Amino acid sequence: MSSTPRKRPAPDALVAGVVVAILIALVLAVFLTGLGSTLYPPKAATSQGREIRGLYDIVFAFAIAIFIVVEGLIVWSVLRYRRRPTDVELPAQTHGNNIAEAIWTLVPTAIVLFLFVISWQTLNSVDAVSAQPDVRIHAIAGQFQWQFEYLDGNGTKVATQLAPEYSADTGEGGMAVPVGRSVQVTLDSPDVIHAFYVPRFLFKRDVVPGQTNRFEFTVDPKEAGQVFRGQCAELCGAGHRRMLFEVIALSPADYDTWLQALIAKSNATPAPPPSGTVLNVVAKDIAYDTKALDVAAGTPFAITFSNQDPSGVTHDIDIRDANGNVLANQEPINGGTSANYAYPGLPAGTYTFICSVHPIPAMTGTLTVK
Amino acid sequence: MATHALAPDASAYSRGLLYEWLTTTDHKKIGIMYVINSFIFFLIGGVLALVVRTELAQPGLQFLTDERVYNEMFTMHATLMIFLFVIPMLAGLGNYAVPLMVGAPDMAFPRINALSFWMLPLAGILLVSSFFTGGAAAAGWTSYPPLSGEGPLNSPGAGQDLWIVGLILIGTSSILGAINFLVTIFKMRAPGMTLFRMPIMVWTILVTSVLVLMATPVITSALVMLFIDRNYGGTFFDPSGGGSATLYQNVFWFYSHPAVYVMILPAMGVVSEVLPVFSRKPLFGYKAFVFATAAIGALGFSVWAHHMFTTGSVFLPFFSLLTFMIAVPTGVKMFNWVFTLFRGQLTFSTPLIFAIGFLTMFLIGGINGAFSASVPVDFALHDTYWIVAHIHYVLFGGSVFGIFAGIYYWFPKMTGRMLDEGLGKIQFVLMFVGFNLTFFPMHMLGIQGMPRRIADYAANAGWNDWNRAATIGGFVIALSILPFIWNVFVSLRNGRVAGDDPWEANTLEWATTSPPPPYNFDRLPEIRSERPLFDARHGRIGH
Amino acid sequence: MTADSHALTTGEHTSVAGLAHDRRGISNPILGMLLFITSEVMFFGGLFAAYFSTRAANKPWPPAQFSEILNPFSLILVATVILIASSFTCQLAVAAIRRDDRRGFLRNMAVTFVLGVLFLVLQAYDYSLLFGEGMTIGSGPFGTTYFTLTSFHGAHVFGGVIMLGVILYRGMSGQFSARHHDAVEAASLYWHFVDVVWILLFTILYFL
Ligand code: HEA
Ligand code: HEA
Ligand code: CUA
Ligand SMILES: [Cu+2]
Repeated sequence: MSSTPRKRPAPDALVAGVVVAILIALVLAVFLTGLGSTLYPPKAATSQGREIRGLYDIVFAFAIAIFIVVEGLIVWSVLRYRRRPTDVELPAQTHGNNIAEAIWTLVPTAIVLFLFVISWQTLNSVDAVSAQPDVRIHAIAGQFQWQFEYLDGNGTKVATQLAPEYSADTGEGGMAVPVGRSVQVTLDSPDVIHAFYVPRFLFKRDVVPGQTNRFEFTVDPKEAGQVFRGQCAELCGAGHRRMLFEVIALSPADYDTWLQALIAKSNATPAPPPSGTVLNVVAKDIAYDTKALDVAAGTPFAITFSNQDPSGVTHDIDIRDANGNVLANQEPINGGTSANYAYPGLPAGTYTFICSVHPIPAMTGTLTVK
Repeated sequence: MATHALAPDASAYSRGLLYEWLTTTDHKKIGIMYVINSFIFFLIGGVLALVVRTELAQPGLQFLTDERVYNEMFTMHATLMIFLFVIPMLAGLGNYAVPLMVGAPDMAFPRINALSFWMLPLAGILLVSSFFTGGAAAAGWTSYPPLSGEGPLNSPGAGQDLWIVGLILIGTSSILGAINFLVTIFKMRAPGMTLFRMPIMVWTILVTSVLVLMATPVITSALVMLFIDRNYGGTFFDPSGGGSATLYQNVFWFYSHPAVYVMILPAMGVVSEVLPVFSRKPLFGYKAFVFATAAIGALGFSVWAHHMFTTGSVFLPFFSLLTFMIAVPTGVKMFNWVFTLFRGQLTFSTPLIFAIGFLTMFLIGGINGAFSASVPVDFALHDTYWIVAHIHYVLFGGSVFGIFAGIYYWFPKMTGRMLDEGLGKIQFVLMFVGFNLTFFPMHMLGIQGMPRRIADYAANAGWNDWNRAATIGGFVIALSILPFIWNVFVSLRNGRVAGDDPWEANTLEWATTSPPPPYNFDRLPEIRSERPLFDARHGRIGH
Repeated sequence: MTADSHALTTGEHTSVAGLAHDRRGISNPILGMLLFITSEVMFFGGLFAAYFSTRAANKPWPPAQFSEILNPFSLILVATVILIASSFTCQLAVAAIRRDDRRGFLRNMAVTFVLGVLFLVLQAYDYSLLFGEGMTIGSGPFGTTYFTLTSFHGAHVFGGVIMLGVILYRGMSGQFSARHHDAVEAASLYWHFVDVVWILLFTILYFL
């Protein structure tokens, strides 16, 4: 070797060391306190979610440790080994070191094997489904609407929730579940792939057409009264963003009341056809059978709406003004059913009638009020 | 005429410079055209990203009121960035460098090489033109059926078909390119250049080419089936007709996971050339590095279903384990790089700065990818902005920083002029800051539950601040591109003259003139190690 | 820089002449063709994987409606024999050119070419029979997979026939000799590959 090992002025190493130490302290401070908490998932609301959270915390701890070690080495080398004008001789031409290579092969191997094993264990418990869950819900995700069918112990449907979002005003809507009870959800889609995602469950599962997926969860008892935001997480078209839903955690007693009310509503005989102006609209193949409707100004009117698409495809007829403000918001109805929608009298002008589930040209028309 | 390039005389220019470039079969000119073409699509893809970021800057639908258009934006953003920027850009750098690095006069099949290149602008025009044919593809760059199938709510119109045809063209171009690389590397190395004396860049291109050769045809088959489903009433992926929606995903990811290594390995190669040169040391653990590269390539074929953990139709533990295992060879490389810097004499020229940017940022991208290897954790992270953060830390923090390191490193060889160091450093600082400002907050958004691919979000979801930060960051990245473009134009005319070997580099391309003559070398130094120029400069010390 | 850097111009040098053609091992075009065939194998691998997965999910297979339609002992067997035979004549052509027998080469190559065209004609005729029985690419997974696999194979035969045509043309203008016939070897490799794919397809579609 013609090169000699270099003697470095001590301050160089000192400065580099101090900078790295400060950086490490900063990273740790950020992650362990304040800001770093935003790098953790929200508080888990289910027992399965809590297990995932526990796993996340372990993975996260390893990630921070690895990050600090490697990033620290990089920063230290960068600061410490700048080339000086006096560096004419080459540095030592190290080609490798078998012991070092072995260490940084074996240690990461051990880490990933450990992480794999604990992940696998957690997976087995969060992915488990029981033969006799306390509650069964059949969730149907279609473009672009959720429906929740409540099933009895034999899997027979007892009620359908067509309004996926909870409304604080009416107290209706949303997918209610009892806390402390196991809830099994089966997922089906009549059209494209969707995904059931509730951030506070730390969980999602795809809704794949032609394949029934299934998962189970138990909401923590202390979450009773909470409403959890849910959202479709798999791109499903132009309305993907609007496939929202809410899960309402109720005490078992409240849940039973809630379910009885839903059953009563499902079984209620439809209101008699209203008098006055009644229009007829049919929806089929995700299109209205008409593009234009006419009514008289200032008088309430009604639409007898028949949804002839397959079950799982919901439609409605909302009315919007020229600025897009919703003037009449109807509840969507399932494929194969019909409904009588009542509308208030409107001032003369031109409005848009539109399906809130499928706001596409084929399900949009002009309402002229004269 | 071009065929007489061996002894160019005035008549070489009689058909004009443009004709010369359009008809060239010289790997260096083709390589440069690859780079320029890819850069143009980077700008277009970047502008689409800025549209996305602007829409997301605050809650409410501001200007993409038709959400289909938003879906077109990120679909085409990712398609252009992946298939017309990163993959061809790296292929272009390889095209320029590989024959020079192995001491060959050109690629093995120069005319096929030209063909590979010219398919790219053609495919690019097809893809971009779909915006003017009633809407571009809008089913995400993954284009899962049934959404990418026919139907009024799915993907009606020609956009999706153009997307399929464009991708098949690009795939064919990649396959032909890979064959060319492999034959060049196997058959045309200079005397003395054994496999284990090849520059690491050549090794990474070799492994990449194997990945392309084995994986790209598989996505071609998926695209063909999708096309048949859409246009000829096929039912491969149509569940209502007896097909399977997840079949497509399996076939697609069988390609697209290896493809992510196609997008990172050559960038790793660039970094592995740059680090030793600017720290005046050999690459630490050359052989370990080669084996790690091969291991990544091999493992890359057995992890595809980690993109399908939530589909409920794949065997989770197997894919989880192998996905975790990929961290090991990648870690080996990471440590090899760090210990190349360690005890070196670092000169902070722009290529080295970008290479260090690669190390620091790819580290984050690798680690946040390893989170998803843990299946239950991926149940929380899948299809959220956490994944978007991962994508960009590996693809931008990794591949794009590597690409810029390569451009700054080889620009002197390509043009004979140096790029300006000051402008280069301005670009780096803006890009590094903007990059982290854009993509780090996406971890927070994702973990708090913001799904990807949504045009709008609720104002009370708590996502407003991080989204605003990300949007500002996106524009800072765009700003950082301006000094780069300026730098190229200024330096082409007035840059410092480079000379043969401005960096005191190690590999053969620096043994010839800048730019090299049409047939690359008049003479070659003797090759006794992976650093022939170092040996020639310093004798056999350190061996 | 230090004086060291001039070592480049004074050190040992190797002449560049002869670099382009490494004469050891297989030639560039043949290696290129082998690699290309590898990629084609993966392409058909994707289609076959789709076939098996579709088949596993759809019982019974073939569906009742088409249960008798794919009879191996029909025209398709003739086509199969023709294609297999063409592989042999192709190999004979290669053997001929290796010993510099240009007439034998041209004769066998011409026969191969004609057999290839014949296969395509028979396949087209067979398609028309299937269409006549109401089986199309749109008739469910069975029709979709059958026609996709066979038509992509047919397209490859078509490509192969064109390749053979070019070889034949170049051979007639005397471009090949015992020492110079890489293109012939490469084309024959491709032709054998197309043949093997057909044997697989025939077995899987008609017998399994
Ligand atoms: C250049 C591209 C690139 C690269 C290199 C990678 C690298 C990796 N990726 Fe990534 N990935 C993408 C591009 C890339 N990815 C893209 C584009 C997507 C999204 C596609 C879409 O849906 O649109 C994706 C998505 C994606 C998913 C699916 C997520 C989901 O949708 O839910 C997963 C899951 O496992 C994953 C994992 C990994 C892993 C484990 C690596 C590993 O290779 C990383 C290994 C590196 C390190 C770990 C760092 C260095 C190592 C050490 C310092 C050693 C010590 C470390 C440990 C012990 C952990 N990636
Ligand atoms: C190499 C790959 C790559 C690169 C470089 C980038 C770069 C960027 N990406 Fe992208 N991105 C992906 C690959 C990439 N991305 C992928 C694969 C997806 C997933 C898509 C999917 O879900 O299907 C994605 C998705 C994605 C999303 C998520 C969209 C969603 O899910 O809804 C977002 C959101 O912010 C985003 C932002 C950005 C930004 C701000 C940049 C910035 O870095 C861009 C920087 C800006 C420029 C480069 C512009 C420069 C322009 C000028 C200087 C003006 C000059 C103009 C002219 C001369 C014409 N990207
Ligand atoms: Cu349904 Cu997204
Ligand atoms: Cu992957």
